[in-house]
Amino acid sequence: MIRLDGITKVFPGVKSLDNVTFEARAGEIHALLGENGAGKSTLIKTMAGAYIPEAGTIEFDGERRAWSLPKEAKDAGIHIIYQELMLFPEMTVAENIFIGEAPRGRFGLIDYRTMYARAAEALDRLGHHLDPRALIKDLSVADQQMVEIAKALVGDTKLLVLDEPTAVISGREAELLFDRVKRLRDQGVCIIYISHRLEEIFAIADRVTVLKDGQYVGTREIGDLNRDQLVAMMVGRELADIFPVKKGPHADTAPVLTVRDLQAPPKVKDVSFDLYPGEILGLAGLVGAGRSEVAHAIFGSMPRTDGAVTLGGEAFNTPTPRAAIDRGLGFLTEDRKGEGLMMLLDMAANVTAPVLPEFTTPLGLDRGHEILAAEDEIRRFRIAIPGPKYGVKQLSGGNQQKILFGRWTRACRRVLILDEPTRGVDVGAKVEIYEIIRKLADEGVGILVISSELPEIVGLCSRVLVMREGLITGEVTGGDINEETIMQYATASAGADAA
Amino acid sequence: MAHIESADGASGPAIRPIRRLPLDPSLIIVVLLLAAVVIAGFTLSDRFGTLRNFTNVLEQAAALGFASLGQALVVIVGGIDLSIGAIVTASTVLMATVVELHPALMIPMIFGTLAFGAFIGFINGYVTIKTGVHPLIVTLGTASILNGAVLIFTLQPTGGVPFWFEEFAYGRIGGVMPISGLVMLLSFALAWGFLRYTPTGRAFYAVGGSPEAARLTGIRSNRITLMAYSASGFFAAMAGAYFVSRTGVGDPRVGDPITLASITPVILGGLILGGGKGNILGVLLGVFLISLLSNLLNYMNVSTFIQWVIQGLIIIFAVSIYVHKGKKL
Repeated sequence: MIRLDGITKVFPGVKSLDNVTFEARAGEIHALLGENGAGKSTLIKTMAGAYIPEAGTIEFDGERRAWSLPKEAKDAGIHIIYQELMLFPEMTVAENIFIGEAPRGRFGLIDYRTMYARAAEALDRLGHHLDPRALIKDLSVADQQMVEIAKALVGDTKLLVLDEPTAVISGREAELLFDRVKRLRDQGVCIIYISHRLEEIFAIADRVTVLKDGQYVGTREIGDLNRDQLVAMMVGRELADIFPVKKGPHADTAPVLTVRDLQAPPKVKDVSFDLYPGEILGLAGLVGAGRSEVAHAIFGSMPRTDGAVTLGGEAFNTPTPRAAIDRGLGFLTEDRKGEGLMMLLDMAANVTAPVLPEFTTPLGLDRGHEILAAEDEIRRFRIAIPGPKYGVKQLSGGNQQKILFGRWTRACRRVLILDEPTRGVDVGAKVEIYEIIRKLADEGVGILVISSELPEIVGLCSRVLVMREGLITGEVTGGDINEETIMQYATASAGADAA
Repeated sequence: MAHIESADGASGPAIRPIRRLPLDPSLIIVVLLLAAVVIAGFTLSDRFGTLRNFTNVLEQAAALGFASLGQALVVIVGGIDLSIGAIVTASTVLMATVVELHPALMIPMIFGTLAFGAFIGFINGYVTIKTGVHPLIVTLGTASILNGAVLIFTLQPTGGVPFWFEEFAYGRIGGVMPISGLVMLLSFALAWGFLRYTPTGRAFYAVGGSPEAARLTGIRSNRITLMAYSASGFFAAMAGAYFVSRTGVGDPRVGDPITLASITPVILGGLILGGGKGNILGVLLGVFLISLLSNLLNYMNVSTFIQWVIQGLIIIFAVSIYVHKGKKL
């Protein structure tokens, strides 16, 4: 259906695609896989005529093409669905499906009857039944996505590109989406599916093409690959090298953090544990089990109703974030953009924020000192940013996360709580972050890692607490740490055993 | 149409060109507009470009300057203060009335009036924090209460102050530098240094731009918000004192146009109404811009109403350029 050969696309200073080859057939779901920055989006935009490549040829539907405008590609039957849905919330499903090209009746007025009928047809083809008269704002995100796909179906779409469609929907909704997409494949549509969630690739794709650093790595039948091989293709190294060597806490030390009967309704019912210097302790559980809330309640950013916490051997029972930081407890939150970085401030200000008084002389802020400190962090964590005075908004997730590591490791040397430390970070940066975590533990910091990615918990932690519905339902150590055991404690069945 | 921002090369081997935050990106437009007004002034009027005229404008700009400074501090922390005009009014009436009854209290009442303004601002901040109601509504309510209370008390200009207090508005140091203008300039200088060179000043921007992230880095956000609103009330009272000094009385209507007027220089100066961004010196330049423009148009016998039209056009023009720039970058 589509064939790209020797595509090269250069942006000032960056060769985004370098001699890339890609080929997808009618009636297949072809996954396009790669880390952030691998060139997936650039390749898609080249396919769709949004970028004009410096070199290479495009063949679509049996003909050699050279798009000069996105509209030409669209008219030829290429339809892209981006992550951000382009729908009008106050309009109906049918109006959105036919936006800009509504069927006209007499006097050029919109023929609503035909429009509703044809919208229903398109949804039918998807096998997804929605009222064409419903307002978009009343639909779930998953249903809205179906409307986006239906938009593609009223035109004569031969190639449908889905750009990380599951980033915004839940697991069950994703399964429904897969079902609908497979239905389209069986109708002969060529589907290109972009994602970096490996499980999905295995669930939906027929073939996969991997890009890395703007270069073509390879195309494989999905049945010929296992997870580890796919990761190796993406990262360029073996999976065994991803996680650092595990070590236990420092010997013969007293706990640096003790938590007893912590309560913070409604999510945290009764939580007790100890954390030792040098230990990487995992906190696992399903989303909504109360893990982040435990962190907030310890840190003082959410009120506690009961419980006793000690930090470095001293009671810490009237917590505020300020007091926590002053006692060496840092908290890297899961919401990097809302609760972590300060997007309007520069990188240096983001690093020094919790300990700004240290950079103050009687004459005021010592900006030079602050910038030196930030430069240290840039070197230490190999942050890809031109300098401390630059903004943080445009950085990749991995680099943003490293800035936050710079912030918290500088401010807090006793305990770090890391909530989803690698969320939205590509695999290469994940490896670096795991190394950072290991090194911090080696330096004697007690680390509590909250993560929804079980492989991460399993690969990183020497001890794991499992939470379910506000309670700790299990503790696993050493060789017993595996995904199955953790899942048993995290779900209801093992909870009943524990109770 | 290849925008470099769209290249999805983020953590790749090459460092993506990222816009360096220049020192004061927001000042460019207001400086250009100001330069245009000054050049037009020199060309169109022979009375405009004199030292005497400039010092007069500085003297007259004091009230707007104080009000805009307060407004700017609140805007930076992500709020807005629609009670500034009402605090100005209430301050003039309070000061003039008390001092007329007890002329000996003139000096204490200067401080008393400033404290009154700061207190009203504090209440604004406190209610905003405690109720979570949008500051637009809280300060609108405060304005209505204050204005109503003043008008219950008097419908006419009232009270009086000793003649020497006129010096605050009209006095000149060395016969040249207006005291009121100088105090206004010093206030801006202090605020600039405070915002730029103290941790608390930095926290103003942090709280305005990312309230939740600020709180989680240990910044006491509520304290910052209270400080900003108190400062706004304080400077509104300062503007009130200036009016009493000019007119000798407390006037129940004097503050009415001030509230909205105080927002204009803030916007011209490149602050964003969402908070967290902007240089306070831009606001000062905005004050100069509005004051010099009005001064020039007066010389050219342009009516006040046409001046409003021109001001409106300039605001929309300036902001549309900011927005355009923001999109491009």
